[in-house]
Amino acid sequence: MTQDKSAQGVGRRDLLKLSAVAGAAIAGASLIGSRTAAAEGELSLKGKRIAISATGTDHFFDLQAYNAQIEEVKRLGGEPIAVDAGRNDGKLVSQLQTLIAQKPDAIVQILGTLSVIDPWLKKARDAGIPVLTVDVGSTNSINNTTSDNWGIGKDLALQLVSDIGGEGNIVVFNGFYGVTPCAIRYDQLVNVVKYFPKVKILEPELRDVIPNTVQDAFTQITALLNKYPEKGSIKAIWSAWDIPQLGATQAVAAAGRTEILTYGVDGSPEVLQLVADPNSPAGADVAQQPAEIGRTAIQNVARLLAGQTLPRETYVPALIANKANVNEVSKKLGIG
Amino acid sequence: MSVDIQLAPVIHFEPGVSTPKPSRSGNLAAGALRAGSLVAFVAILLVFSLTAPYFLSVGNIGNVLGQSAISGVLAIGLTIVLIAGGSNVVTGGIDLSLAANMGLSAAVYATAAQLGYGDATAVAAALLTGLLIGAVNAIAVVGAGIVPLLATLAVMNIVAGLELVLTQNTVIPASTPLLTALSSSGPLSIPALAYVLLVFTLIAAAIVQYTPAGLRLYAVGEFPDAARAAGLPVRRLVAGAFIASGLCGGFAGILSVSNLSGSTTGSGEMLLPVVVTALLGSVFSRRLVPTVIGTLLSTLFVGFLVNGFQLLNISSVLVSGVQGLLILLVVSATTLLRRQEA
Repeated sequence: MTQDKSAQGVGRRDLLKLSAVAGAAIAGASLIGSRTAAAEGELSLKGKRIAISATGTDHFFDLQAYNAQIEEVKRLGGEPIAVDAGRNDGKLVSQLQTLIAQKPDAIVQILGTLSVIDPWLKKARDAGIPVLTVDVGSTNSINNTTSDNWGIGKDLALQLVSDIGGEGNIVVFNGFYGVTPCAIRYDQLVNVVKYFPKVKILEPELRDVIPNTVQDAFTQITALLNKYPEKGSIKAIWSAWDIPQLGATQAVAAAGRTEILTYGVDGSPEVLQLVADPNSPAGADVAQQPAEIGRTAIQNVARLLAGQTLPRETYVPALIANKANVNEVSKKLGIG
Repeated sequence: MSVDIQLAPVIHFEPGVSTPKPSRSGNLAAGALRAGSLVAFVAILLVFSLTAPYFLSVGNIGNVLGQSAISGVLAIGLTIVLIAGGSNVVTGGIDLSLAANMGLSAAVYATAAQLGYGDATAVAAALLTGLLIGAVNAIAVVGAGIVPLLATLAVMNIVAGLELVLTQNTVIPASTPLLTALSSSGPLSIPALAYVLLVFTLIAAAIVQYTPAGLRLYAVGEFPDAARAAGLPVRRLVAGAFIASGLCGGFAGILSVSNLSGSTTGSGEMLLPVVVTALLGSVFSRRLVPTVIGTLLSTLFVGFLVNGFQLLNISSVLVSGVQGLLILLVVSATTLLRRQEA
């Protein structure tokens, strides 16, 4: 693990330099569809059929990434074959099987539980179809475009620990440890908390669910607040994404326990709004740039098909939005 | 015997439907619907094979068969209950616990495999889980006399809850030699699951359509009073149908673990498609009754539809809408015909 990390650290630093330049250009141009075509002028997918397989499009992140990918394939002159499994694993596997039979020039898989999709990504690779992924690392994928989840996890954990003054109980939603980005973010929280002996993760950890994530988080937090009725007995609520955070924030507000701050990841517009509201207990939300991630993945496909070698992972910078800078971040994402 | 009479409401059937007068126009219309649905099936296959690249390739057809295996096994299990209980959706036979059953059986299999038990134990545990769920349904319906719709709805909730408890709503990966064999490709590089579906259908069809026990199921479902008068063990047959259906749920669970390389959440989403598939199956039979082969055809019909849409690159947003429309058309046509027959 440490070896992995240091190796990735080197690659990441170089990439960050590059992406900082690209990011600055994109931030300026991202408001309305005008693209930084100059830098990517030589990229083309003319005559190529690019399969885009999404685990679902019911979250802000995957919808943005999915739509941006379809548009980017079209913009580069290719034909997208886009399928959306609606967060149903059986459907996801069937769609991948059919995609393999369709023999596209490349398959881009957005998210998914690794143990479910990996055997089929391997079959695609065995069938000679290049596989790229978005936000899910797999040994069968040539390149994974993602946010730097180590950075996200660390930034969020440090923000949390600093907001609660380095001590107190925190409640954690850890229902999707099987999903790699969630696992990394959780591990980073644990790593940070380890050095703050007065911060304690309450046991048992909560499990966020799909579907009905918001309602379920609301119910679980409401029950937990009844179990810990004293003000100050809970300082913060952490979740690996921001949909449980949404339900948790509502539950905290409804119970009048606004001394408890909530933390999450993804930059869903409704959660960013809560962070921006000075009276809301939403503490911080790390915003990924899903549309940019989607476009980058497709540009990587074009680079690969043009014979270039791709790095194992391409990192698109994420932006932490806290009470102080949320308006700035929203503007950067083109939401605000 | 008096107990049997109390049971009558359970397998109660609209008298009009259970004693159809073979009116000529009704027969003609039924024939037209049957022929029409087969023609529609063939026409859709034809359109897809002309317009969708790869549609007719052996690999693709094998894929559709393999992808239909799980829903097919579940729908055939439901078909057995439909046959024994009569196909009135509200008062007749129905097993709503099937999809949840599959989910729990899959979770049991995956858990057993993770705990280091061999395939034989895991298979036995999964099938036993299905069998037990079927038995609980049978007791609730035949013993307590609860309408199947409500009894199996309650059991569905219990089973889904047990699955949550067992899996904590997480994915349990599993890998065993049997799972590897099931998820690999067989002869002609057609998925092994495709062969499993075909063999399973043949066995189920042989038992249901060609053995005395199978014929008695039809008698119990369509003419419960006559069946009772003829001295058939109505209660035992209905209970048997639920147990068989439960066993199908357990078997589907094993297939699901192989397809998804473990047990995953969201099995409940299979329920409505399976119910619709089983009900749709009637249009592929001679007398518009549920049959095993009819259910297989309707499963494949839905499977080819979804597959064709993907191959034609029709936006996935449209698929479920169009699918629902087609199903609504066929089901309303069947219902209208039944009423006409009565």
